Amino acid sequence: MSDRRLPSLSAVQATARFSNRRLTPEEFQAYVDAPVSEAEREEALRLIRWFKKRYPTPAERLAYAQRSYARWTAHQR
Amino acid sequence: MRGSAFDEISFFSAIEASGARALLIGRRALVVLGLPVLTAGYDFWLHSEDIEKLNEATRPFDLAPNRDPNDARRVGRYALENDEHIDVLVSDARTAVDGFEVRFDDLWSRRTSVDIGAAQVFIPSIDDLILTKRIAARPKDAEDIRLLERLKEVRDE
Repeated sequence: MSDRRLPSLSAVQATARFSNRRLTPEEFQAYVDAPVSEAEREEALRLIRWFKKRYPTPAERLAYAQRSYARWTAHQR
Repeated sequence: MRGSAFDEISFFSAIEASGARALLIGRRALVVLGLPVLTAGYDFWLHSEDIEKLNEATRPFDLAPNRDPNDARRVGRYALENDEHIDVLVSDARTAVDGFEVRFDDLWSRRTSVDIGAAQVFIPSIDDLILTKRIAARPKDAEDIRLLERLKEVRDE
């Protein structure tokens, strides 16, 4: 991936602040209860089925998580 | 930077051998269950009497606590750190965003043991993981709850 396609550090930090803020009870419930479209639901189910088939054991899934985070941080540099 | 030499299986094995009542929570637990989510560190909910056991078990991995045990009990949390970052919750109970009291002992009594090869990892039930997500109540926790609901669908297939 070209560096030009990476978000700036400030954009990443702003996104993290937005994503890590504590919601009010009403806001949180609204997030949880937001309707799920059939396409969104199917996409989530497809991803879960793929992941569990590709990495059938918990140990393989943990190893995948370590690799994927290492890849992600390498892209941040 | 994340240390590539960190042996995760040995780390979990040491925790299991210590006898510390430690529940893996957070996104790493979601990964164990089968959700492909990105996560940086580790999150545990630990029985408050077992801080010393966990610290001793993780010392060979050069993980250092950022608070002494009594201070951690007073504050209700601490972290173990080096290249890795492990958040440890040590409260007996936490209050969810809707006021519901989430108790460690309840989650521990309903825990699931997961075989990861050379070690067992204890994680809360899916419904209890959802409860833990309601404690921090961030947007990403709401997203995780929605994913956990999908995971329940797949498990029921």
